[in-house]
Amino acid sequence: MSLPYSANPARSSLGAGIGLRVQHHEEVIARRPPIGWFEVHSENYFAPGGTHRAQLARIRAHYQLSLHGVGLSLGSTDPLNAGHLRELKKLVQEFEPVLVSEHLSWSSVSGRYVNDLLPLPYTEEALQHMAARVRAVQDALGRQILVENISSYLRFSCAEVPEWEFLAALAHESGCGILLDVNNVYVNAMNHGFDAHSYLHGIPRPVVKEIHLAGHSVTNIDGREIRIDTHNTHVANEVWMLYGAAVKRFGAVPTLIEWDADIPSLEVLQAEASKADWIAEPFHAVAA
Amino acid sequence: MLSLRELQTRFAASLFDEAPERVTPWIRPQGIDPLARIRIYRNNLQQGFLKTLALEFPVIERLVSAEYFRQLALAFLTRHPSASGDLHHIGAPFAAFLGEKFGGTRYSYFADVAALEWASQECLVAEECTSLDPRVLRAVPPGAYATVRFRLHPAARLLRSDFPIIRIWEVNQAGYAGEPLVDLAAGADLMLVRRAAQGIDIRRLDPGDFQLLTALAEGQSLAEALEASLACAPLFDLGAALRRCFELGVLTEMTYDQSRLKEYSP
Repeated sequence: MSLPYSANPARSSLGAGIGLRVQHHEEVIARRPPIGWFEVHSENYFAPGGTHRAQLARIRAHYQLSLHGVGLSLGSTDPLNAGHLRELKKLVQEFEPVLVSEHLSWSSVSGRYVNDLLPLPYTEEALQHMAARVRAVQDALGRQILVENISSYLRFSCAEVPEWEFLAALAHESGCGILLDVNNVYVNAMNHGFDAHSYLHGIPRPVVKEIHLAGHSVTNIDGREIRIDTHNTHVANEVWMLYGAAVKRFGAVPTLIEWDADIPSLEVLQAEASKADWIAEPFHAVAA
Repeated sequence: MLSLRELQTRFAASLFDEAPERVTPWIRPQGIDPLARIRIYRNNLQQGFLKTLALEFPVIERLVSAEYFRQLALAFLTRHPSASGDLHHIGAPFAAFLGEKFGGTRYSYFADVAALEWASQECLVAEECTSLDPRVLRAVPPGAYATVRFRLHPAARLLRSDFPIIRIWEVNQAGYAGEPLVDLAAGADLMLVRRAAQGIDIRRLDPGDFQLLTALAEGQSLAEALEASLACAPLFDLGAALRRCFELGVLTEMTYDQSRLKEYSP
């Protein structure tokens, strides 16, 4: 199968980036810290005017940018939201991001949105549906998108294949790239009892174009531990170790530190990014 | 086996507390009650919705207390769930929701406070647009003045309330240290909300100015707008009112009847 879109422009030389939140806009503009690149949630900039969008344009003038969507509801059986896609396309045209990504999830049905990342059943029907949707989005945007694996707190009994097989098949069927969230792989491995390394080895090397790292929390339900993807703390040690295995397999692909709640100072985020750079450093040649 | 559509319909319903037992047989327990697993997602939905609504309506939250705001938000979520992948839109029907809930009670002003907060939110992110300079009027042939029309700047809103909403808004700002009591019978407010260089500007307008801007915002001509203003403010001074509107930067996109232009051409 050939990729219908131009080769992904992301280069390993991007190094580690940081998820940019509006709290840090002014500081980034004023101080222009040495950070490889930034990623923002697309929907936070859909509004046609105002301070945040203007600030993002100023930041974009000095940094590479990635647009990460959380609301397209790719896996929903509702018709693709044309208005949402139109807004995304406008943003892509204005900001010329190096990467555009969405999630292996759905968030709406019958027009009612839960604005969360809900898991799909990993069935053949869901695969064909998701692949068709990804193709439609790529056709509309005229470029490849990356699809990210999510953290999940349940599995549907009708699932026919493991998540990594589903994700790999989706990339094959649709021509999308994969945004591999190593924290989500770890969270799901713990929540659903599989070997995280099997996941990594189930994903073909060339399709992984970006990696996410984030912190999670642990809670207890019915006497069982369950890990929740809270994005409110440091990347866990076990996840750093898994990241080491990931860059060994996939090379030093652009890696992003995500932190969305209890947002710390830029310095804390930069330290996390430096750690990722340090771990990935020996594997730059692999990705070249 | 359920179709993907049916599974999504049942699962989404369970997050809104509608018949979760219709989806639990399709969830693997893996040592945890499927209902407890559903609760994780339901909690995410409720917390995300509540957090966004509280950011959009801080004055309402202050007026009713955080605990009651939470109850209101959950009732609002059931009635008006998000209809967009962009959570920022959820607050649009909140003022109407409060109007229905508290209309005819001593809390009927809540709806107007919410309308003011939502107007502020809308102005903050409205499209960028150049405000007109008063000199544009020089280009209008004298005979065409009556036909001049403007568009209200996208980052401006006009609001009317029977209550002293601006005062309520002021005393509920973080850091306000003055007299906290507001006399609800202190009179009605005619308000202009607009995005200014330093953020949101909320001000009271005179009845004449308010009527002028309201008529112009509805697409009426300057002559029609003047008539409406004079009807509610007999001493209304159009020139002075237009000057104030230009200074506030709330007028944009002027048009006038071009056929009048030809009559005055040599």
